[in-house]
Amino acid sequence: MRNPWAQTGNYRTSYVQDTTIFANYREIVSVVLLLLALCILPMFLERSQVLVLNFILIYAIAVLGLNITTGYAGLISVGQAAFMGVGAYTVALSAPNLPFWLTIPLGGLTAAILGFMVGIPSLRVKHLYLALATLAFQEIFVWVVGRSPALAQGAAIPVEMRNFLGLEIGFRNHNYFWYYVILFVLVLMVIAWRNLLRGKYGRALIAVRDNDRAADAMGMDPGRTKLFAFALGAFYGGIAGGLLAYMQRAVVVEEFTLTRSVALLAMAIVGGLGTVVGSLLGPAFIEFLRLYMERLSEWMKANPFVQSITPAGVDVASALLPLSFGLVIVLFLVFEPRGLYNWWRLLRSYFRTWPFKY
Amino acid sequence: MKRAIVLGMMAMLGLVMAQGRTVNLLWSGAVTGPTSDVGGPYGAGIEDYCKYANEQKLIPNVTLNCTVRDDQYQNPNTQRIFEEALDRAKPAMYLGYSTGAMLQLKPLINEVKMPTIPASAHIGLIDPPNNQYMFLPVSSYSEQVVALMEYINRINKNAKIALVVNPSPFGRAVVDHARRAAQRLGQSIVDVREVGGGNLDNTALLRALDAAGVQYIIHQNVAGPVANILKDAKRLGLDKKIKQMGAVYTGGADLIRLAGDAAEGFLWASSYYTLDENAPGINLQKQLAAKYNRSADILNSTNYTAGMLAAAIAVETMKRAAQRFSGRIDNETVYQALIGMNGPNAFKPGFAVSTKAGIEIDFTRTEQTGAEGLRVLEAKGGKFVPVTDPFTSALFRQVRNP
Repeated sequence: MRNPWAQTGNYRTSYVQDTTIFANYREIVSVVLLLLALCILPMFLERSQVLVLNFILIYAIAVLGLNITTGYAGLISVGQAAFMGVGAYTVALSAPNLPFWLTIPLGGLTAAILGFMVGIPSLRVKHLYLALATLAFQEIFVWVVGRSPALAQGAAIPVEMRNFLGLEIGFRNHNYFWYYVILFVLVLMVIAWRNLLRGKYGRALIAVRDNDRAADAMGMDPGRTKLFAFALGAFYGGIAGGLLAYMQRAVVVEEFTLTRSVALLAMAIVGGLGTVVGSLLGPAFIEFLRLYMERLSEWMKANPFVQSITPAGVDVASALLPLSFGLVIVLFLVFEPRGLYNWWRLLRSYFRTWPFKY
Repeated sequence: MKRAIVLGMMAMLGLVMAQGRTVNLLWSGAVTGPTSDVGGPYGAGIEDYCKYANEQKLIPNVTLNCTVRDDQYQNPNTQRIFEEALDRAKPAMYLGYSTGAMLQLKPLINEVKMPTIPASAHIGLIDPPNNQYMFLPVSSYSEQVVALMEYINRINKNAKIALVVNPSPFGRAVVDHARRAAQRLGQSIVDVREVGGGNLDNTALLRALDAAGVQYIIHQNVAGPVANILKDAKRLGLDKKIKQMGAVYTGGADLIRLAGDAAEGFLWASSYYTLDENAPGINLQKQLAAKYNRSADILNSTNYTAGMLAAAIAVETMKRAAQRFSGRIDNETVYQALIGMNGPNAFKPGFAVSTKAGIEIDFTRTEQTGAEGLRVLEAKGGKFVPVTDPFTSALFRQVRNP
């Protein structure tokens, strides 16, 4: 038998091996090390830097869901932010009476039910037409919230949690506390994601995406599979929204508009559709891009030399962020449609086969 | 020897004190993104007033470090910028911006006890809970709209009114108060429409309101959408039939620039002086815009005035905090100075009109609105001229908490 620590490829000889969550021991060790690193990371960061991490992890959960609907099942959805909103508002309404470990799954479930309903058009329409159906849901969500006095017409509904098992949660530890909660939820969601997609449901999603008629001929139920994909993707979105509500201490509808849905789709594309690693890399890349462009734009505005060589210096600096955001998406679509995941795959492959080229 | 050491230390301390120290003031708002037509000039006003405060040494022995940051109208950015500031250079005061972000940050602002002056005048910001540290520089949007309704009532009893508001918490803020005020005044709110940016053709909206017999449209929006509606009303010949008016962010030079002669006759509720008036704040605004090479669009913008007023309140409060608390300027002393800014200690920078009692800006622990006086102005010959004396809306106080 080969030494499992020294293997340079996946040598699967049985179906059971083919469906394992981790391909080899090295993968287990690297995941454990990554988790350990993520656990100690906040000790070296300021509160506001942890806040940035929290946003990235929350978006990663939402993008994981989008990767089920769009990445795996091939159903274009531009309504993921609305599903996040459903989760967030469910949390906001139930938080005064229920603990957070119940309100967040409840938010996910409510979003899943709505996701199921939104998925119904997918039984009859595909591609751009389906995208329009999800767009309609996104707009209807914002419209309904804006006109519901029970939801403060889109203004803030406070979501505060001051205490957990005797631990007082306040300004000093709020971001740290939620960082660990979000990380824990993310790990659970990733495991569930991997677990689901290695089984028959996952294969059904891929089969329906690639050719729903062929999948139907092979005994799968494309309709049910599509509804399942929508409901599950929405569940992830709802969980992400619930966490966001607690993390931001209040729910405001402006967080769950079409712009956010498009940003989530961009994160999924940049990260690499249909991959766990891509779901983590995409949000991180977009958020850091935003941060660095913000810094660059501030530097440009403060720099007299830059201002002197650009007559409308302030406008050039201000345009940097939207410009870079659009440019990144276009460049990825043209030159690396498989996203950052593919770079990660190549990098990993390089080290695995080192010193050999292949 | 001991005496020499003590004297030396005191001399050192005196030297350090004389050199002064730095106090931080933070503003984050939409320099880019939605509503940046308001945020850009507002931020410029804060920036310029801060430079002026440092040059004039308005706070003795203190250098004001004004941080002006672009949050792109994104609430997560606002939260990050605010928390970053709390981590790195705790500001003594926070000048905020958008309604949504400010409403969302209310619990945190209250927890960290940070006196905050937002650009948004949403009444929910100073309503409980978590409202202790929020202060509106001028009267709320709701009060402005109710004041316009009172003005309508003076010239036309039982008027039929439509509200056209921005599709956001900012726009919707006024609807409930307007409904209650209409009930008391015997007016009827015929319709409430939500109109955002990109409203390039408003024919259907205006025809529907005309068919419903609407005599007055009250806008709660930014200038862009209002300008488009005004132009369409003129094109359809409805400009004489339906009188249009709006709250503070609808009007000013921005509206006249965007709507041209279609703005003629538009009524505007505002607490600020206009650029044509001879007020100390406005004169300073002209002087600073020239000094810091601001464009004519920025100089003419009421939002530039609004930014300066917010910064002026912050600087004055810091100055008073230093005087009252032996040079200590932090969020706690600034809060105390702010709630003490009333009666004989009211502030009069000359950016906003005064009430009948002669008070321009005052705050107390429970009265968290600065400039309570406002006027109705009308667009005539390409500029806004006042058509009322400064007043406060008595009716608004009745409908605020019925």
